[in-house]
Amino acid sequence: MQKLLEKIVGGASGWIELRYQARSTKRITVRSGNLEESSSTLLAGLGVRALVDGVFGFASTTDVSEPGVLAAIAAAQSAARTSANAKRKRVKGLAEAPMATGTFTVATDDPLDAHSLDEKLALVLQLDKRIRSGAQEIASSTASYGEIQDEKIIVTTDGASAHVFDSKPELRVIAVAGRNGDQTMGMESSGVTGGWSDLLGIAAPEELADKAVQLAVDQLSAAHPAGGTSTVVLDPGLVGILCHEAIGHTVEADIVLGGAITSNKIGQIVASELVTLCDSGATEYSPYAVGTLPVDDEGVLTQRTVIIEKGTLRSFLHNRETAAHYGVAPTGNARAYVYSDDPIIRMRNTYIEPGATPFEELISAVKEGYYLRELGMSGQADSNAEFMFGVREAHRIVDGKVGELVRGVTISGNAFEVLKSVDAVGNDFAWENGAGLCGKGQAAKVDAGGPHLRCMLTIGGRQT
Amino acid sequence: MSTHNLLDRCQQALDLVRKHGADQAEVFGQTTRTITSAVEKDDLQISKSQQETRIGIRAFVGTQVGFASTNDLAKLEDAAFDAVTLAKASPGDPHNVLPEPSEVEPVDGMNDPSAESFSTADAVHQAIRLLETAKSVDSRVIVGEGDFTAEIRDRVLVNSAGAEASELGSLFTYWVLTTARDGDAVSNMALKFGATRTVAEIDVEPIARGSSADALGSLGAEKGESFKGQVLLDPYAALSLFTPLQFQLNARNVLRGMSRWKDTLGESVAMTGFSLVDDGRLPGGVATASFDREGIPHQRVPLIEAGTLRSFMHNAYTAHAFGVGNTGHAAGSAGSLPAIGPTNFTILPGETAKDDLISEMKRGLLVSRFSGNADPISGDFSGVAKAAYLIKDGKIDRAVSGTLIAGNVFEALKTLSGISRETENVFNYTFPSLCLEEISVTAE
Repeated sequence: MQKLLEKIVGGASGWIELRYQARSTKRITVRSGNLEESSSTLLAGLGVRALVDGVFGFASTTDVSEPGVLAAIAAAQSAARTSANAKRKRVKGLAEAPMATGTFTVATDDPLDAHSLDEKLALVLQLDKRIRSGAQEIASSTASYGEIQDEKIIVTTDGASAHVFDSKPELRVIAVAGRNGDQTMGMESSGVTGGWSDLLGIAAPEELADKAVQLAVDQLSAAHPAGGTSTVVLDPGLVGILCHEAIGHTVEADIVLGGAITSNKIGQIVASELVTLCDSGATEYSPYAVGTLPVDDEGVLTQRTVIIEKGTLRSFLHNRETAAHYGVAPTGNARAYVYSDDPIIRMRNTYIEPGATPFEELISAVKEGYYLRELGMSGQADSNAEFMFGVREAHRIVDGKVGELVRGVTISGNAFEVLKSVDAVGNDFAWENGAGLCGKGQAAKVDAGGPHLRCMLTIGGRQT
Repeated sequence: MSTHNLLDRCQQALDLVRKHGADQAEVFGQTTRTITSAVEKDDLQISKSQQETRIGIRAFVGTQVGFASTNDLAKLEDAAFDAVTLAKASPGDPHNVLPEPSEVEPVDGMNDPSAESFSTADAVHQAIRLLETAKSVDSRVIVGEGDFTAEIRDRVLVNSAGAEASELGSLFTYWVLTTARDGDAVSNMALKFGATRTVAEIDVEPIARGSSADALGSLGAEKGESFKGQVLLDPYAALSLFTPLQFQLNARNVLRGMSRWKDTLGESVAMTGFSLVDDGRLPGGVATASFDREGIPHQRVPLIEAGTLRSFMHNAYTAHAFGVGNTGHAAGSAGSLPAIGPTNFTILPGETAKDDLISEMKRGLLVSRFSGNADPISGDFSGVAKAAYLIKDGKIDRAVSGTLIAGNVFEALKTLSGISRETENVFNYTFPSLCLEEISVTAE
């Protein structure tokens, strides 16, 4: 296939990007003892991007024979030509980049295909059962396993010819507890870029199940907090969500050009000097991060991008088009989820670098506040960095000690204001957001994390 | 691929999966042809064309089920084999059944034959109209994102119980997300959506103007007030807040013990003015189709009538488990197992004009969009009121920002004090504006 695409690109006129993708996925879901899903998917196809008169066009096809590929190229070029008259801002050029050649494979000793479906199913059934037998109050349980294995071939007229293999499995557990008509939920998940033993090694599946049960049950007797501004200690999960959802999207160069709050802030202080925030194609500080990718979908070798350096905004996240617009080097953030998606600017592994403060000291200095762990049911943020996240697990901090659990907590504010309020950054690190998908018109496997940190933000509670 | 060819391929897959050892089987095939022209950052963005045929195979071995799908028709046999292998590895479940075949009546107006000749150039033209109309409202408006999509979809369902259904449908959808920027002040994002099934009815201008007006309205918003009281939710906000209703009405969640309404059929769950129907045959509806993901005819299903819970949404699995009629709510694509989901989910309008609802409010908050959490199980919601306006003495006083609202959807349903007679179509939802009581409003 790579030879065919190289041959076609060699004979093409104008700039062309061909991306073949074969994807195999498996999903197993068990709810309250019943198998809800056991499914497999085999997808294959080709996405073509053409640049004609400074305008992109895109077409996708499942016909990957030579005539099929040529027809898709013609369709993409026609789509570009049709838009050319009305397009105001032309692509002035594509920034020079280290284009990838060769083969790139996920390093694992234990590939997913070496493990049978029976083994994967047995694990999911066992987790579901463990949740149900975990406490009397458990009303329902869910356990699921998913895996995505990708093979991509990216060939462009300007030098990329990369063959990329990827493997991303994940586990998820949900416990619902009930008492007197009241219901609460606990959930945990883990995901990796890697193989079967990497997934099981990063978090013991039984511990995920036990934690979900504990949280669901404990919340039944938890009170709702009052709303207001408070000192909080965020765990690596919420730090990651803040980095990705509330900051990261506002520095994606396409969002910046659409009028994000960051557009004129490069070089300005946007956070506490304790904060260095990055997005990387590699898995920094801790292994197996799910957003890991060696080559982006424009065929550019990825790198570690420092977005905020000691409080100062240093860089946006770019594809080759926006990098040329800003006169900077591409950061390797162009990604497409499946063959029928065109590459757009997406994050990879987004995090705050660890600092110097031990976790105990983050907590012990708080007279009154909250210790907050992981994203709850949902989260949203705007291009002005205003965010609102549900919190999965919230404890009061009283006189320097983590105390009682409270429920129904949301946090909100402006993410940059929150980062300015950071007064201590933990010396630990974890990736915590590898399960699930990020959506931006198309999906992406990303990860986010960081150390624990202390800051101020608004707690949403109930007005009484 | 024509409907005829798709039907042949689905029949072929059905033969293959039975050859590999399935006792019963179902094959759902979809051919989707789409043309999309996108706008971004005040400019035309990329135009795309796509064609894909996807086949989903559900294999039954006794009461065991496995599912596989592919878009590579050369791999139909691999997919059939996978489906049977997965079934054999899986524990059985007595409710894994195929539905009895039933007569499917076509829905009028599903397909506009002129959609066949709708070109990339036509889509680009509509995208330009969307962009230019939004920008023409005010120079401070920035069109962040949006697109115009033309889609023609063939659906075919066959199963070993003798079901055979097919349908061709055209659909044009368009949406736009704008912000307004004045110096350093950036408004909230404002989203509007529109759709039609015919070329002649395509009209992108109202949504473009509406989105711009919403963005401009929230510009210059200042800190609001904290109180506990009335909140008037516009349809987009109501949609975000009322998603827990779908969760509670899903019969699968009832079966799982996750629905608080599991023992309340025939009982009051909302104030008497509140009625909710799901109508899979709604003329022109985005989710309209003559049959569901399992080949069962769609129908108009009253879910809540005058405040009383009348029905849950069922597919073949839950109908069998509860021993009740199948409501035709099997949902999903050829890429996934049949799940349960709404079609055209509609809160019936009230009799009061929205302006009159406002004029009856002494102090309240009008919310255009909600960004937050609505817990599907507890119904607790909490989040930021976007494009929100303080109402005082029956009049809109001013735009406010950074205002949190919190309460409980199920409590709110029982104390609902107003439903507007105006409704808006948002995706496959038709919602009026709703006036909620006793909501916590917190100004940051």
